[in-house]
Amino acid sequence: MGAALTYTEAELVTGLKARNEKFFGYLYDHYSPALYGIALKVVVDESLAGDVLQEIFLKIWRGIDRYDTEKGRLFTWMVNIARNTAIDTLRSKGHKLGQKVQEIGNNSLIVDQLAVHPSVDHLGLAKVVEQLNKEQRVIIDLAYYKGCTQEEISKILDIPLGTVKTRMRNAIIQLRNILKQM
Amino acid sequence: MSATSYISSGLIEAYVSGLASSSEREELELAMAQYPEVAAEYQSCQQDMEQYIIYQSVTPPATLKERLFTQLDTEETARANGTYVDEDAIPETPVRKVLVSSAWRWIAAAAILLLIGSVLLNYNQYTKYNGLQQRFEAMAASNSSIASETNVYRTKLEQAEQNLHIVQDPSMKTVKMPGTKTFPTALATVYWNQTSKEVFVMVNNLPQPTSDKQYQLWAIVNGKPVDMGVFETGTDANLMQKMKSVDNAEMFAVTLEKKGGSPEPTLDQMYVAGKI
Repeated sequence: MGAALTYTEAELVTGLKARNEKFFGYLYDHYSPALYGIALKVVVDESLAGDVLQEIFLKIWRGIDRYDTEKGRLFTWMVNIARNTAIDTLRSKGHKLGQKVQEIGNNSLIVDQLAVHPSVDHLGLAKVVEQLNKEQRVIIDLAYYKGCTQEEISKILDIPLGTVKTRMRNAIIQLRNILKQM
Repeated sequence: MSATSYISSGLIEAYVSGLASSSEREELELAMAQYPEVAAEYQSCQQDMEQYIIYQSVTPPATLKERLFTQLDTEETARANGTYVDEDAIPETPVRKVLVSSAWRWIAAAAILLLIGSVLLNYNQYTKYNGLQQRFEAMAASNSSIASETNVYRTKLEQAEQNLHIVQDPSMKTVKMPGTKTFPTALATVYWNQTSKEVFVMVNNLPQPTSDKQYQLWAIVNGKPVDMGVFETGTDANLMQKMKSVDNAEMFAVTLEKKGGSPEPTLDQMYVAGKI
């Protein structure tokens, strides 16, 4: 994705803050797969994920003035908006913990994702999924994609509350090791 | 905490994965401001997490872009017209709302009602229980006082029986001791067993002494007073009180002495006396 950029992040931000739709179109083209990936992973349902994606981009457009380059990269900021919007939608639908586990624990979902959407770099995902053990993947996904609290994770995975953070640390360390090798 | 302990605490990973609580986020933000190495570790971890997110990218359906830009144009037109209403600050992190299903609300309401009912019932039962407890204690106390009274009567009856045995003994000699000139209404009796030499005294009429005084019985043997011991008076005292034994005596007398008795009788305090 990085190679395809024709604007620097600074140029992009300036263009967006100027409410230039050309820059916004560029932003959509480059970042919508990552943000849609988040929405889909969180809410699962494709049509709902489409609504969430629209909401995400509207929030980015409306809120670009509030984006502060000092505070972090544009992508980090957008990813936060995407995650929060998707998780809020999930919560407003009254998702139960049980559902979260089922969805996250379900390997076939990822397989489906690989089959149905061959457009993006799924080789990387396949490698990560292959090398990260199931519990490590589940703990990251429950926290990141389902917005589970430490208490909820402790209940879902049936592990002591005090060990949730340690397990998360180990899972992310393992994830980072895998990423380094790629 | 030092920079390295922040890095190894798991706080960075919790933050990046969205697991951190708001207080944990604040803690890490302070640590990042303080230690550049903590901030650098966070940046690196954050980028790796973003790489993981990018790996999960899915191209959205093409129609979505069109829909978005239609909506955007509507908003921009509104903004140009001055009719656009900006909806709000975007929360940087989702507010963790605790959603409670309506079934649980009903269950909670029912539980609260049950609890209130139970509290009232308990209070009622407790009041009743307290009343019963008090009545029970009163009855137990009166029962035990009846029992002890019964014991007293039984003892008195036993004593009376004993006294009767003493008096019925054929070898028992009765020595009546009438009041002296000083105390003419006083009267006491000595029962003296001629065989066993046992001596008992019975108070017929003696004034109740002050608590520091006691009556003392004397036997006059060969013209000399011999101490026979002190005895009690009043309703609690045994009717027949056993005194010291004496082989022979010419007369018996009772004087009022200091509590515990005196070695010699106080003659002006002689209440009764009787010759054998």
